[in-house]
Amino acid sequence: MTMRRIVVVGNGIAGLTACDSLRSAGYDGELTVVGAERHHPYSRPALSKALLHSGDGNSDGDGNSNDGLRAHELPEPTHDATVLLGVSAAGLDIEARVVRLDGGGELPYDGLVIASGSRAKRLAPRQGAAGPRRDGSPRELTLRTIEDAIALRQRLADRPSVLVIGGGPLGMEVASGCLEVGCEVTLVSDVRPLSRQLGEHLSGIFTTAAVRHGLRVVGGGKARFIDSDAGGRVALADGTELEADLVVTAIGDEPNVEWLTGSNLLVDGQLRVDSRGRLRSDIVAAGDVAAFPTRRGVERIPLWTSAIDQAKVAAIGLLKGDAAPEFNFQPYFWTEGFGLSLKAVGNTAVVGAPDYCEPGNDPDSLLLCWGNQAGSGTAVAINYRIPIPKLRRLADAGPGALRPAAPLKL
Amino acid sequence: MRIELDRPRCEGHGLCEEAAPKLMHLDDDGELVIDVPDVDGAELAAAKAAVRVCPVAALRLAAA
Repeated sequence: MTMRRIVVVGNGIAGLTACDSLRSAGYDGELTVVGAERHHPYSRPALSKALLHSGDGNSDGDGNSNDGLRAHELPEPTHDATVLLGVSAAGLDIEARVVRLDGGGELPYDGLVIASGSRAKRLAPRQGAAGPRRDGSPRELTLRTIEDAIALRQRLADRPSVLVIGGGPLGMEVASGCLEVGCEVTLVSDVRPLSRQLGEHLSGIFTTAAVRHGLRVVGGGKARFIDSDAGGRVALADGTELEADLVVTAIGDEPNVEWLTGSNLLVDGQLRVDSRGRLRSDIVAAGDVAAFPTRRGVERIPLWTSAIDQAKVAAIGLLKGDAAPEFNFQPYFWTEGFGLSLKAVGNTAVVGAPDYCEPGNDPDSLLLCWGNQAGSGTAVAINYRIPIPKLRRLADAGPGALRPAAPLKL
Repeated sequence: MRIELDRPRCEGHGLCEEAAPKLMHLDDDGELVIDVPDVDGAELAAAKAAVRVCPVAALRLAAA
């Protein structure tokens, strides 16, 4: 059927890329974007780095900055869609082909792109029974949206003691930023920080740097938030209780799928698409909300580059069906903190010590490679500027093409 | 259209080079070099893809 009306639910980088890709592929019909946030798309990965690090709160002088925050801003959209900002999708009828909006409106469609993203998980899902504090501030902060970033930066102005829950990339980036502005920071992680994402070797490099920068790392099992009017209190599974002026939770994300309840699209609460992003011939999904088939099974890949790649695939999948290319994820991951900047190509977490190691110009600068029996490996640059295509060639070269690892002096 | 680089924002991810290798590259020091700043026709799609993929929006397309 010819598509003349396409609705995109979600206005993050996946929704934006889907719109651009539809237009690039020649789609010139009606395009409507439903965006729950009151902003045009921005870069979430940039929030943790730029917002925390440029902690002076000054405007940059152009008069239209968000409290002096710029790094997250993306170029103005050029897809010529009707964009509904601050409007959420509330329901979907796949037989009638209608998206129901929060507040009552309805959007009929011929084709639908689901890119409603995900939200931060919390220890206390509903702010705790007591609601926000008397001064209106939330008890438990997260970092997912631009509003979160502004709130966090405002709270950091008083240099509070900070308890960061979660030893993943976001938790570590938040901890690094808080340390950098002069806060006392404790990070709660039941495994060694970043080990799940990067493996023990790289986790060791980052944890060593973090401790050197003054981070206190505490284990003790699953954390539970305890309501308190003073600051934030957290109880760990082993009985340890921790207190700080501020608690920032970074324990992962959960997909925004509630509006799809009753749509018959969810399987075990997941939005499982095929290799072209399709749920049906007239509905595709992409980005943090979608579970794509990968070599490790069907899973969500909540990363910047996967959202972009998935949205491109899904947009063409909607227009061209089986003639569209399949999703072929080439992982790219980066994180910064504690004086280290890491860029990784290939599958992390890597097992064991690297097969190849080349020191760069300064003591912390390293180029590392891991081989992989299956063929392609993993290449990691730490404080080592290298074009990603070159890093990819190193990852793809496989272990045989590389020199043995030189002895490491860290 | 003209590709403009905001150099202080560039973090050297190089995702743009991957999207548009004929238009730009990171040099040996990891600094981005715009090889073909003025683009139209077939190159415009690649330029747009490069601008879009940058997580810190260091690239913009402006009217030439």
